[in-house]
Amino acid sequence: MKQIAIYGKGGIGKSSISSNLSVNLASEGLEVLLIGCDPKSDSTINLFGGKRINTVLDLYKKGVTDPDLMVFEGYNGVKGVEVGGPAAGVGCAGRGILVALKTLNKDYYIDRGFDVVIYDVPGDVVCGGFAGPARDGYADEVYIITSGEYFSIYAANNIAKGLFNLNVKLGGIVGNMRDITKEERKIKVYAEEIKSQLINVVERNPKIYESEIEGKTVLEKYPNDLLNIKFKEIGKKILSNKKSKVPTPITDERIRSILGGFH
Amino acid sequence: MNILTPRPNPIVAALYTLRDLDVDVAILHGPSGCGFRAARLLEEDGMVVVTTSMTEEDLIFGASDKLIEVLTEANALFSPKTIGVVGSCVSMIIGENVKKALIDSGLNNKAFFVEIHGCMGANTRGAIETLKAAMDFGLIGEKEFKRQENMLLLATEVESNKGMAKSKYIKPSRGTDLKIVADYITNLLKENKKIAVVLNAKKETVYLFADILLAINLASKKLGGSVINVGNLSTEVGLLRIKRYAEDIINNLNSNNVAINFISGGMDEYPIAGKNAIDYLKDKDFDLMVAVGIPQALPLIDKESIAVTNGPREVPPLEEAGYKYVTVEIASHSTVMGTREIVFSELGEAIRNSAGIQ
Ligand SMILES: Nc1ncnc2c1ncn2[C@@H]1O[C@H](COP(=O)(O)OP(=O)(O)OP(=O)(O)O)[C@@H](O)[C@H]1O
Ligand SMILES: [Mg+2]
Repeated sequence: MKQIAIYGKGGIGKSSISSNLSVNLASEGLEVLLIGCDPKSDSTINLFGGKRINTVLDLYKKGVTDPDLMVFEGYNGVKGVEVGGPAAGVGCAGRGILVALKTLNKDYYIDRGFDVVIYDVPGDVVCGGFAGPARDGYADEVYIITSGEYFSIYAANNIAKGLFNLNVKLGGIVGNMRDITKEERKIKVYAEEIKSQLINVVERNPKIYESEIEGKTVLEKYPNDLLNIKFKEIGKKILSNKKSKVPTPITDERIRSILGGFH
Repeated sequence: MNILTPRPNPIVAALYTLRDLDVDVAILHGPSGCGFRAARLLEEDGMVVVTTSMTEEDLIFGASDKLIEVLTEANALFSPKTIGVVGSCVSMIIGENVKKALIDSGLNNKAFFVEIHGCMGANTRGAIETLKAAMDFGLIGEKEFKRQENMLLLATEVESNKGMAKSKYIKPSRGTDLKIVADYITNLLKENKKIAVVLNAKKETVYLFADILLAINLASKKLGGSVINVGNLSTEVGLLRIKRYAEDIINNLNSNNVAINFISGGMDEYPIAGKNAIDYLKDKDFDLMVAVGIPQALPLIDKESIAVTNGPREVPPLEEAGYKYVTVEIASHSTVMGTREIVFSELGEAIRNSAGIQ
């Protein structure tokens, strides 16, 4: 079993990539569990035709602690979980993630024979709780999603700092394109700069958000689209990845000078 | 310096200060058990202390509804005039909007919020924040706030220069056996020697420490010698409740025919009253000084002295400071709650026994 956690700047495409990756790995015959760790509970929504599943924390609040009641089967047999959390502006979502992961009980899904567990984590590493999925015993390695834009790479670097502090391995970086100049090169150079690697890049493609309008992944809405091959390639590379290691974050000045060098 | 010794935190100090302010109900917005030792003592003293018993679930989803519920319940159960809501580590980390909860409960005309938690440094910070909140709520004036804030900062200084916060870790100690100290005092009186007693007590502990002053005076009446009495027993300074403590003690001493020769300050002025006491004693003739209460706030003198504290962790620094004997009144906190009269102290009893007083 391989457990991975997806991090990256807010809105960069973590949930889109996680869900598209999940369904494509499932069509290769793998048992996939996608765990959405965002209190807004939208990571798995495209596995369920736009419907929201019961969240771990809502169930927990009602006294339900059986993991079987928290895992739902979605498109292509992918199992989905949403951690859930407090309404915006109250409580502590970070603590929520830690409690939900504990309630879910990782031994349980190890027992269930999953081949891949994907944690879709919100935003940057904002507090201790959000780092939960990257800690010992959960994700084996982390993947960062970024575009070639400065703020996205800046956020990626902040996450790399968090991983460095927590001594957690980075599997690599997945590019999600915003169609800026020399974008793939920029991401690749940054990845190597922090002693990591560029796994692959996902092009900017309207089919991704068009599918989402119907609560679907690209595989469900456009089964024959080449994008699906791209997600399968990414999945394969992640599953066979032997090059994950703790990243060495760089300074803000260094990021600026790398990106500036392309112009 | 990072101090390892167990000691009170700002939450506990906030609760004590609410009691001083004659607040009827304190609601700690946090887990049950938070500050429970202090809470139980304060309940003995007449203030109701409840918590919102926050749970793991509340940590995640917030507990403002629970706070409103507890506010409403406490109001119905205890019909308080004033309610103080005190923060805790958990409720403040998750950013509970307590002010809004107070408004939503409809009790904001009788309840006020002390924004404090356990990780805000010295315990005195909790007392200062409470006084500030009480000032904003209209319970005390700005002048009184400033005076007390200054006193609390001086108290913090005393603790870190000469008391428990002086070093990283201080092991508790009982100091010298009470009987040895009592016999030493009565023997001096039998030899017709002069003893200066400096009562420098912090607030309610005076009900206990005053007993030592009383016992020495009674022993002197029986055995001989003479006593100079100094105490921070001003009935003019501080909150109503604190002034009442001083009045109680003066009345008690009067009825025992014991007079205070010099008032060194108010009951919450122990950080400066010690210095006033020593200034007064400078040109007085005596053979032994007995300092009781907060001896660490007294400047050192080059005369034989005995220190009586209620903190087993104050013993080592006092011994280092050069006191001949240092001894501890161990039960002070539990015995003084709710009383209006001087209570028996262990050293006082030992002195009475040694002097043969029934
Ligand atoms: N390669 C792409 N091409 C076109 N649209 C994309 C692409 N990747 C993501 N999007 C769109 O960008 C939006 C944000 O993506 P998504 O919700 O996956 O981001 P996220 O990183 O999970 O955000 P958050 O940090 O809020 O969880 C979505 O509407 C999604 O459809
Ligand atoms: Mg997302």
